[in-house]
Amino acid sequence: MSPTLAVIVKLLSIIALMLTNGVFMIYLLRKVLGHLHIRLGPMHVGPHGILQTMNDVIKLLTKEDLTPRLADKALFYLAPMIVFVPSFMAYLALPFSDTLKATSLETGLLFTFAALSVVPIGILLAGWSSGNKWGLLGGMRSAAMQIAYEVPLLLSVLPVVMLAGTMNLGGIVDAQAGTWLAVVPRWFITNPLLWPTFIIFVIASLIEVNQTPFDMSEAESELVAGFGSDYSAMKFGLIYLSEFSNTFVVSAIGVTLFFGGWFVPWIPTSWYGAVPVLAPTVFILKTYLGIVLMWWIRGTFPRVRIDQLMDLGWKRLIPAALVMIVLTGVVDKLIVPLFSGAVR
Amino acid sequence: MWGKGLINGLRLSLKNAMRGPITVQYPYEKLELPERARWAVRPKYFDDGSPRCTACMVCVRTCPDHILSFDFEVREDKTKHINAYTYEIGACMMCGLCVEACPFDAIEMSHDYELAVIDPGRLTEDLLQDVDAATNARHKAEKEHAAAAATPEPAEDGDAS
Repeated sequence: MSPTLAVIVKLLSIIALMLTNGVFMIYLLRKVLGHLHIRLGPMHVGPHGILQTMNDVIKLLTKEDLTPRLADKALFYLAPMIVFVPSFMAYLALPFSDTLKATSLETGLLFTFAALSVVPIGILLAGWSSGNKWGLLGGMRSAAMQIAYEVPLLLSVLPVVMLAGTMNLGGIVDAQAGTWLAVVPRWFITNPLLWPTFIIFVIASLIEVNQTPFDMSEAESELVAGFGSDYSAMKFGLIYLSEFSNTFVVSAIGVTLFFGGWFVPWIPTSWYGAVPVLAPTVFILKTYLGIVLMWWIRGTFPRVRIDQLMDLGWKRLIPAALVMIVLTGVVDKLIVPLFSGAVR
Repeated sequence: MWGKGLINGLRLSLKNAMRGPITVQYPYEKLELPERARWAVRPKYFDDGSPRCTACMVCVRTCPDHILSFDFEVREDKTKHINAYTYEIGACMMCGLCVEACPFDAIEMSHDYELAVIDPGRLTEDLLQDVDAATNARHKAEKEHAAAAATPEPAEDGDAS
């Protein structure tokens, strides 16, 4: 296969993954939130409502595409793409298995976060160009949140990078192969040193993907739908899809960094070669588990206030993340070598 | 401990998720209404199907919303013929005063609660149309008949004791 064709096939399969994933995740979200709220979620279309999102997609595709009179038309059209393209790019470095990945970037982790950090710019553009105060407020909040939370998010993954010794996501997964004493998996989450880091990562990534306790940019009770107030039809669909796709990507990053990527502990490594679908299946299952955890949080907590959010970001998470970096460095480079050969 | 409330919240919402739904899949399942629920006003009938209404107009005078109206004629022999007993359900507030006022137990608050219509014209309907109103004599006879039907039971009790 020629390299160009290979690239095209890879990109198409990423788009296919993104779309089917989006449709499935919207259904899953409705079901999870429904059950958390002691109801059933969609039940009408198809058995247990599984075809509901299909109908919604068709509705979005056939809906009238409105442009507000006061909107900045060029930016208004550009914004959904600026939101969508980075979340598409974020898939490039994800390792679904040893071989199944679009690229093997040496700086995969940095690349993914860099791609995700472009999304709020698109959201700010969307809010700005709508010519609407709700949209503008939503976009501004999104920008403020990005500045406050991109930093702790990136700082919180640094301890993992220090332990793994690489920013290549595949390499980070490889560093978690095997078990301690044949019982505890050698995932980074089993390392008590990384538990505070993991909590910071979870909080910062919830903010990164606009999940409810921190969804300031589209706080329904305050801002109608925030930056998306004036979007309709497939322009709205793209923004919505990108939001779900970001949730998937962040959860996948969490699985890669802390939960051993595609590895199941206790089974020999040769199995992954023998059964090619095993590794991606495990990876996606773990990712969905992470997503359900995020939605469990989303269905439980009320939204925080914007000033509380900024407080938490600047005054708590950034110092905590910095402390964890120093601590991990000291333990990993000074204390562990003292007992070298003991555990690690 | 800081964060205890957050964890407790997560525990509670998970417990709720395990509890199963408290909602009802409405068009397919319906809840039973309480016996005294008040919905649309409906006329009541004798066993033979003739209306209990005597066209006495008490309900019309009682209605605070002025949504009930009669169109009837009085014949030579003082019996009444109801052309239309009109009810504007769109303006009804289901207060039930007409039912309480009715001296002949001729209307009731039904459990008919699916009242949405696609044609606003149907918000005004005729409860009775082109029928003879019941006479006072008919009601008296019916009452005696009911009393007669009820008496044998105490007699049976008397026999047993």
